Amino acid sequence: MTADAFIFWFLSLVAVTSGLSVVMMANPIYSALSLAMTMVSLAALFATLGAYFIAGVQVIVYAGAVMVLFVIVLMLFDLREETKAFTRGQVSGALKIAMIGFLAGLIVMVMAQGVKFLAAPDVVDAAKLPEDSSKALGLVLFNRHIFGFEALGVLLLVVAVGTVALARSKGGTHAKH
Amino acid sequence: MGQDIFEITINGIKLIVIFLLMVQAVPILVWVERRGSAFIQNRLGPNRVGPLGLMQLLADAVKFLNKEDFLPRKAVRALFYTAPVYALIPGVIAYCAIPLGTPLQIEAFEMAGKMWGPYTFAMQGFDIGVGIVFILGISSLAAYTILMAGWGSGNKFSLMGALRASAQIISYELALGLSIVGVIMLYGTFNLTDMVLAQQGPMSFSFMGNQVVIPWLPNWGLFYQPLGFILFFAATFAESNRLPFDLAEGEAELVAGFHTEYGGFKMLMFFIGEYAHMMIAAGLVTTFFFGGYLVPGFTPAEIREFVAQNLASTPNGISAITSVIHLLAYFVKFALFLWFFIHVRWTLPRFRYDQLMDLGWKTMLPWALFNTILTAVVIYVAYNFA
Amino acid sequence: MPLGGVLFLTIFIALFGTLLIFLARAMGGDQTRNQTGVKFDPYECGIPGQEKKDTKVSVKFYLTAILFILFDIEIIFMYPWAITFRDFIEAGAGTAVGLSMLIFLLIFIFGLFWEIKSKALEWD
Repeated sequence: MTADAFIFWFLSLVAVTSGLSVVMMANPIYSALSLAMTMVSLAALFATLGAYFIAGVQVIVYAGAVMVLFVIVLMLFDLREETKAFTRGQVSGALKIAMIGFLAGLIVMVMAQGVKFLAAPDVVDAAKLPEDSSKALGLVLFNRHIFGFEALGVLLLVVAVGTVALARSKGGTHAKH
Repeated sequence: MGQDIFEITINGIKLIVIFLLMVQAVPILVWVERRGSAFIQNRLGPNRVGPLGLMQLLADAVKFLNKEDFLPRKAVRALFYTAPVYALIPGVIAYCAIPLGTPLQIEAFEMAGKMWGPYTFAMQGFDIGVGIVFILGISSLAAYTILMAGWGSGNKFSLMGALRASAQIISYELALGLSIVGVIMLYGTFNLTDMVLAQQGPMSFSFMGNQVVIPWLPNWGLFYQPLGFILFFAATFAESNRLPFDLAEGEAELVAGFHTEYGGFKMLMFFIGEYAHMMIAAGLVTTFFFGGYLVPGFTPAEIREFVAQNLASTPNGISAITSVIHLLAYFVKFALFLWFFIHVRWTLPRFRYDQLMDLGWKTMLPWALFNTILTAVVIYVAYNFA
Repeated sequence: MPLGGVLFLTIFIALFGTLLIFLARAMGGDQTRNQTGVKFDPYECGIPGQEKKDTKVSVKFYLTAILFILFDIEIIFMYPWAITFRDFIEAGAGTAVGLSMLIFLLIFIFGLFWEIKSKALEWD
């Protein structure tokens, strides 16, 4: 096994394990931390493909995003109640079984599809990858995808406005009278 | 990490040496900070243990080691113990991406009946193509340490301190990230070594078709991005949780912030992490705006020439001495900025929390935007109206 | 590939830190098992602890965090532009790319000033 293959399998193992623990952990704080771990190992996997800029962006953006999750957990959840609600009870038990069935179905489907693709593997030659693809990325982004880029600016603005409106709303079930 | 076993070993040792140097630098910095603050405040500071009080570090370390291992009743065991270990990681890894000197070139040689080499060892932990993005990404992970420690301690002071600290860090990360855009535009690369090499020689640039040369100024980023330098440097103070931005540990309100419940070696590890961020800040300011490891007035090629004529004769020796000279130049600049961090800490009072957030969002972010637009316009004009 | 170095150093530091914690425990004594006594209460400046630990925190932190992500994504999108701007100018497309970035920046500035005006960034 070459060093590259070892790094790939190691990172995949970390990504899958932490990804599983995102959904398996009862405590949402641990889920958020596992999600951060998944994102970092995914970023490292991007780096093995030579996409260093994407890897950096993955860490910067998703590390921040998971931080928001963390704060939401601290802000909204009563952890003890939450843990109780999601570990016992018939409704959540039934939901859990349904979700496991759904997941199993998805896995079977993906495997059935994936076997077809695996038959003719499209091997990426690491030596042919460019050393630094960030310039190429910029050139493509501002040539071909300029409209998507501008639309993204507007979309982010809409999200910002929505957030502020949500945070400032006075009504709802928890309103102080 | 390398082509063969020799290169991999050397690179591994290099990483460990950088890490241990950073850990060792912390007690020295603490000593400088205590002595420096004492002189600023007209006191003497620690001067009893050993010459100039230098042995104080050793005494502190022994004392730290002999503190009992303590876990509060409401703490979450896993997070309480992971947080201090994790505090070391992002700072050290980010620092390893900063170039410290010209690469060391070793010619092919024979060892154990086999030809090895030639090798080129970069004077940095690892040479990453997208240096800035890597450092920003890795150091943004440091906020998790604070949240883990704050929540894992099971203490309200810790939790409030952690939330304040992370809100402050992410707010200033915006100004930090945006003030770098001008720097990236100036050098046209993410790579820190390329940035350093772009700053060699006297100040020269082409403006509207004319080549301008100012022989008495080095070609440093500071002179092209003065506003970017001020914004970046101020934001790094907030990023490394130093005064005047150390609201996370506002003693009068929060006891000690996120590490209220920590003591002994675990506390020391948070300390090392914090100082590591200070070192990253000083290293990045040196690299972006003050020519990195370059000696002002001389290009690396000129120094190499000088060494070849006067100091060494073998290629390996020339390369090694050149590297060391640049390493020293880097550390002089680096130490000056570290001292600046310490001096500011003992000069300025602490902000109030709303002032802190206002400064980040309403002052520094708009100014950083202005800097970006200004840089773009100047570059556009400089290229287009020949 | 530098990634191997990053992984190596991460694992090394993690082991080093764990070793230090165990060393300190061996030297200083273990007080983590038998947690009786007032000493192990959360630090409360001498007042007996009252509330449960899952205190609710201000919505301002959430607002700051999510606004940070939004602006951070916009800033990240300026990086590929910053690195290629000179190439575009040299290729003669500087005006078009500069203008499209200016529109993006104007949206950014509008968003920022809207946030400031709507008092979303006020701390009291």
